Amino acid sequence: MAHAAQVGLQDATSPIMEELITFHDHALMIIFLICFLVLYALFLTLTTKLTNTNISDAQEMETVWTILPAIILVLIALPSLRILYMTDEINDPSLTIKSIGHQWYWTYEYTDYGGLIFNSYMLPPLFLEPGDLRLLDVDNRVVLPVEAPIRMMITSQDVLHSWAVPTLGLKTDAIPGRLNQTTFTATRPGVYYGQCSEICGANHSFMPIVLELIPLKIFEMGPVFTL
Amino acid sequence: MAAPPEPGEPEERKSLKLLGFLDVENTPCARHSILYGSLGSVVAGFGHFLFTSEIRRSCDVGVGGFILVTLGCWFHCRYNYAKQRIQERIAREEIKKKILYEGTHLDPERKHNGSSSN
Repeated sequence: MAHAAQVGLQDATSPIMEELITFHDHALMIIFLICFLVLYALFLTLTTKLTNTNISDAQEMETVWTILPAIILVLIALPSLRILYMTDEINDPSLTIKSIGHQWYWTYEYTDYGGLIFNSYMLPPLFLEPGDLRLLDVDNRVVLPVEAPIRMMITSQDVLHSWAVPTLGLKTDAIPGRLNQTTFTATRPGVYYGQCSEICGANHSFMPIVLELIPLKIFEMGPVFTL
Repeated sequence: MAAPPEPGEPEERKSLKLLGFLDVENTPCARHSILYGSLGSVVAGFGHFLFTSEIRRSCDVGVGGFILVTLGCWFHCRYNYAKQRIQERIAREEIKKKILYEGTHLDPERKHNGSSSN
């Protein structure tokens, strides 16, 4: 989860998120260099003694500041498109979970091996145990196996919502009447938090998502297979 | 980002962020690139000044040198970092396979020994 006043990305829990962090570092370095150049140009503008009012054109400069931005955009676009296509790769998911957004909770359906369906509500502050996270913890977590490709089918029963888990690099809109799909593979066990990411009414900030990723052996002993 | 410190643990010092957003300490290759860029900037700018005695133009050369050297070091370092990550991933998976399949017909070492004896 994010800690207070965190600005940067959370640590990656999936290979796609690792790629996104790498891309973010790459883009940020380019942005830094452009900002540095602009600051220098501003400094020159403020300190110049040049007062020639007869300058009519500057062909070379105009050529440079047309071609250079095009090159920069290509340098940013190529890795971006690479990751975009990587997220669409079909990787034969082991498990399919349906996630349905409501005002203001999520319903999860594990229907591959049985009929496990449950709702996931945020824990109200009065019901928090010591150590629980305010506005993040839920009554029923989504329990999933580690290192297994998982397909999430996301939709909504009423208004737009968005199912997001930053540490996995996931954010998929839940649209009524439409099924959106996202796949991921978690690389390490743990509890990971996300929040609804599309404005959906009064309690939009109070319908979090909690994934509990556990080893496959322990997952197989759980209610998904035994119910 | 690292987890927040537990009570009793020493506070983490704030990482250095250039221009307020580039975290030089926690971004792989950033510190290395900026340092080499700064060195390149000083060498290029000062060298140009020594030859021409033009201050403003030398500053321009210095800034240009900083940008080019930083970018060059950045791409070189990131390329090597990506290669290293791929090798680490392959090594991790081979270790996992070795532990999982040791003693069975799928043991990678048995396959390798078999092919080398042939």
